[in-house]
Amino acid sequence: MTGAPQAGTDTRDRAIAALAAIAIGIQILEAAIPSPVPGIKPGLANIVTLITLLVLGWRAAVAVTLIRVVGSSLLLGTLLSPAFWLSLAGALASLVLLAALRPFAPRHVGPVGLAIAAAMAHITGQFLLAWAIIIPHPNLPLVLPPLLLAALITGGLTGILTAHVLADPRIQRHVHNPTPND
Amino acid sequence: MNHRLLRWGDTLIGALAAGVVVAAFVFAYSPSGEARVLIISQAGATPQHEPLDRARVLEIHGPAGITHIEIEPGRARCADSPGRQNICEASGWLQAHGEVAVSLPNRLTLQVLGTEPGFDSLHY
Repeated sequence: MTGAPQAGTDTRDRAIAALAAIAIGIQILEAAIPSPVPGIKPGLANIVTLITLLVLGWRAAVAVTLIRVVGSSLLLGTLLSPAFWLSLAGALASLVLLAALRPFAPRHVGPVGLAIAAAMAHITGQFLLAWAIIIPHPNLPLVLPPLLLAALITGGLTGILTAHVLADPRIQRHVHNPTPND
Repeated sequence: MNHRLLRWGDTLIGALAAGVVVAAFVFAYSPSGEARVLIISQAGATPQHEPLDRARVLEIHGPAGITHIEIEPGRARCADSPGRQNICEASGWLQAHGEVAVSLPNRLTLQVLGTEPGFDSLHY
């Protein structure tokens, strides 16, 4: 390759790739855990999305999340299936809301608030896609309240986990300069 | 960097999210509206729509016998249906949107709705 590699973007690209790999690993491990209710997962891979958002910025978080959605569905064999589209819809919805909340972090909103908001947006985006295209049954909104409650609880849990990960001194060492890149 | 776990934005978002959850439960599970039409679905036949206006009695023939359906303004019930356990009659008066009575011997379901449904059946 000609030309000197731009140190900033190379490091950033490697960071995004590494974070996406971690997120894919978490997502696949989580897929092995049976869920008592179909469609409800702890959503632990969102921890990586939130950390990326707070450390590298929103665009990096979009990259990590989309790579995670496509990569894990490739490995799980669900690419382009309804489960994939639901996962993508939830991811996009939560990313949009995180974009709106990004300016308020980390001074006014911490990982817990971001995680709860992202989880609520995630389940709402998934529900809207399911209701519009997959099961357009007039009674489907009846399942929404329990799903929203589950999103509130799992969002709170992943937010607390994110806060603990970010506070870890080993992670803090990697975070030299938390620049708001966008 | 602020190392406290919760900031005021977190509490605000948490409170809003809890409010959304409570509102969702209230709206989804509050009592339904009134009933205006009775849908009679029998296996192998197209659904029949009967408006709940005048008082009358319908007779539906099925494999096990005759089911009598009593209609009054705003409500309907399964008055008499073949079947030893009287499950269909036990549903009583159907007067809220969405209530259902079933007669398995006659392969029959009765549902009252507040408005005409947008479709007759759903396959997926």
